[in-house]
Amino acid sequence: MTKKQLIPAAVLLILSVLIVIGSQSFLRPCVHEDGSFGSCHWAGQALLGLGCALGVMAALALAVRRAGFGIFLSALPVCVLGILTPGTLIDLCHMSTMRCRMVMQPAMIILFAAALLCALTGAVLSARKS
Amino acid sequence: MILKAENSSKRYFRKTGGANYFLAVKPLNLALSGGEIAVLMGRSGSGKTTLLNMLSGLLLPTEGKVRLGETDLYSLNDKDLSRLRSERIGVVPQGRSAIDTLTVLENIILPAKLYGRTLPVENVRQWMEQLGIAHLRDARPAELSGGELRRMAIVRALAQSPDFLFADEPTGDLDDENTHLVLSAFREYAHAQKKAVFIVTHENDAFDYADVIYQMDAGKIVSTTSQAK
Amino acid sequence: MVLAMLTAFLALAVFGGSVVVLSLRSGLNSLEARLGADIILVPSQAQSKVSFQNMFLQGTTGAFYMDSSALDKALEVSGVEKAAPQTFLASLKADCCSIKIQVIGIDPERDFTVQPWIARSLSRGLNDMEVAVGCKVEADVGEIIRIYDQRCKVVARLESTGTGLDTAVYCDMDTMNKLLAAAEEKGVSHKIESGDQVISAVYIKVKDGCSIDEVNSRLNGHIRKVTAVRTRSMITGVSDSLAGVSRTVTALIAAVWVLAFLVLLLAFMLIIRERAREFAVLRLAGASRGMLSRLVLTESSLCGLLGGLIGVELAALALFPFAQLIESALNLPYLMPDPGKILLLAGGTVLLSVLVAALSSVIAAYRLSRIDPGTALREGN
Repeated sequence: MTKKQLIPAAVLLILSVLIVIGSQSFLRPCVHEDGSFGSCHWAGQALLGLGCALGVMAALALAVRRAGFGIFLSALPVCVLGILTPGTLIDLCHMSTMRCRMVMQPAMIILFAAALLCALTGAVLSARKS
Repeated sequence: MILKAENSSKRYFRKTGGANYFLAVKPLNLALSGGEIAVLMGRSGSGKTTLLNMLSGLLLPTEGKVRLGETDLYSLNDKDLSRLRSERIGVVPQGRSAIDTLTVLENIILPAKLYGRTLPVENVRQWMEQLGIAHLRDARPAELSGGELRRMAIVRALAQSPDFLFADEPTGDLDDENTHLVLSAFREYAHAQKKAVFIVTHENDAFDYADVIYQMDAGKIVSTTSQAK
Repeated sequence: MVLAMLTAFLALAVFGGSVVVLSLRSGLNSLEARLGADIILVPSQAQSKVSFQNMFLQGTTGAFYMDSSALDKALEVSGVEKAAPQTFLASLKADCCSIKIQVIGIDPERDFTVQPWIARSLSRGLNDMEVAVGCKVEADVGEIIRIYDQRCKVVARLESTGTGLDTAVYCDMDTMNKLLAAAEEKGVSHKIESGDQVISAVYIKVKDGCSIDEVNSRLNGHIRKVTAVRTRSMITGVSDSLAGVSRTVTALIAAVWVLAFLVLLLAFMLIIRERAREFAVLRLAGASRGMLSRLVLTESSLCGLLGGLIGVELAALALFPFAQLIESALNLPYLMPDPGKILLLAGGTVLLSVLVAALSSVIAAYRLSRIDPGTALREGN
């Protein structure tokens, strides 16, 4: 893997760190006063998991350079899952003024879409070489 | 076709020093005609390049005229002068003169391309081969050595088949072998195609190839020597 | 590249700013349209609880009730053209998320504020146990939502208004009475002394030619335990803060403009110095001054185009997915203009970026064309 292919992997790592940290802090789903969890909470947890998986993949792509192409390819479905999770696969609150719909959903979709583009770029770049 | 300087001079203003201007080229007369190689020799700072620029339509003289046939070059507007320069006058400048984003071949055909002309492919190829840069046609200027860049600029000027070709220190960064190649090419161009070639140099290499030799010093032409062919 | 980024910044500010300002304007317009009433009657004890902010921006109307006789009495007052009752009920937590949905019962026959809006999405009237939901309630037509364990069928999702009305659920009075009864069973009381029909507010339209102030005081005098509030006084506060936000945004856009223009101007000047040799070579190759100027203008226009597109793209990426966040943060009516308008605005912004980039390169292009090729080539080495 050349330096050019390291860039998408590095960006992917940054994005997944954002997703992981964001899902627990600035992009977290609604917090209910009484401490109960809505389904949006579980959407947030799912996003955390997907973010972790993506982060490990990016780290692997950086560490094991030979494996770049395969890792980028397998990151694609993870990103698609990330886009579909909030709202489509896991229900969010029933009001668009709620935090989960207002902040978490659009931000996560953008982050995962960016990650998808990144993984695609990485896959194309590493495919061209091999 | 004759290119003539009539009482042409160039004065530069300068901010320091005693006088507030100095005469780079004092009023002089000079004529270039087809089929002849003229060599202008002189020390650095004697006004050679200024004279070349005035003759080639790049620098407006302070006084006097430059005529190509009956046309006063500097009475033309910029657009017409540029077109005329493009069609009839070729210049090989001092120093690097390549557009870095274009390939060697693209650099060579650039002047024609600016006006939508096409150059005869065979002619371009032949000049490139003659000056030994044919193998570099798709290279970028950054990959070329100083001598190769110089020869590229020379091919660029020759390939346009100008009636008047001006070259400023064309052999400055060339070795003996290449100097010979270039000067032979100029001589062939002038004699076989009946074009005028004007070479500015401070080295003696060009001496053997010249038909006319001008000596310049302090803005004046101090001697003119014609050599038998 | 730097130039494209600069113009991108410019386009971002212009496009983002104007979309926000336009959204605020159309939000206010839609608010005024929905607020067709001149006066609102509410129970006296509720007056302090009713604020414009709550009712029309956050959609939390609160729960307060009065006897429906207030409606009949209001109609007796001279100068009253129309009067329509509404009943508010805040639901308990819905099953999935802990949000209180505001339910508003209307009288479809009489209502002149909400009903015309509902009619645009639902051609027939609301039947028993049917509700229409504001666009921000995430429930699809045909879905069943449970309010106090009563199954209500969603039959329409209403158009966006950019106001708190978007977060409410609407039903007719019969349905509302059933919901009130169900709420009573769950221990949520809405106690009033008498009468079987309770209402929360009466929306009043004053006859043309009558002074709203006079009618207002007449209402206050005629009906006991009720306070009449002029809606105009509610809305001025919003228009004021709206004007404030608009001014700030406009000033920001102007500042970015001037700054970007100056920086672009400077950047072009610097680039000219850097590229003097390249242009000298072109001159040498026979290019006229006009050709060089055209080249510079074309390059800078392309830069502007690229920058404009990137800027609009970035602004769109921030504005559209996070529209709700912006609305909540501003706490003002905020309604996105329709797509056609937005496209037009985007096109205009890109065009503007191209123009600004081209304009700022004009001086540079002029200076460039004056360069003496001989000197430039010498200096370049």
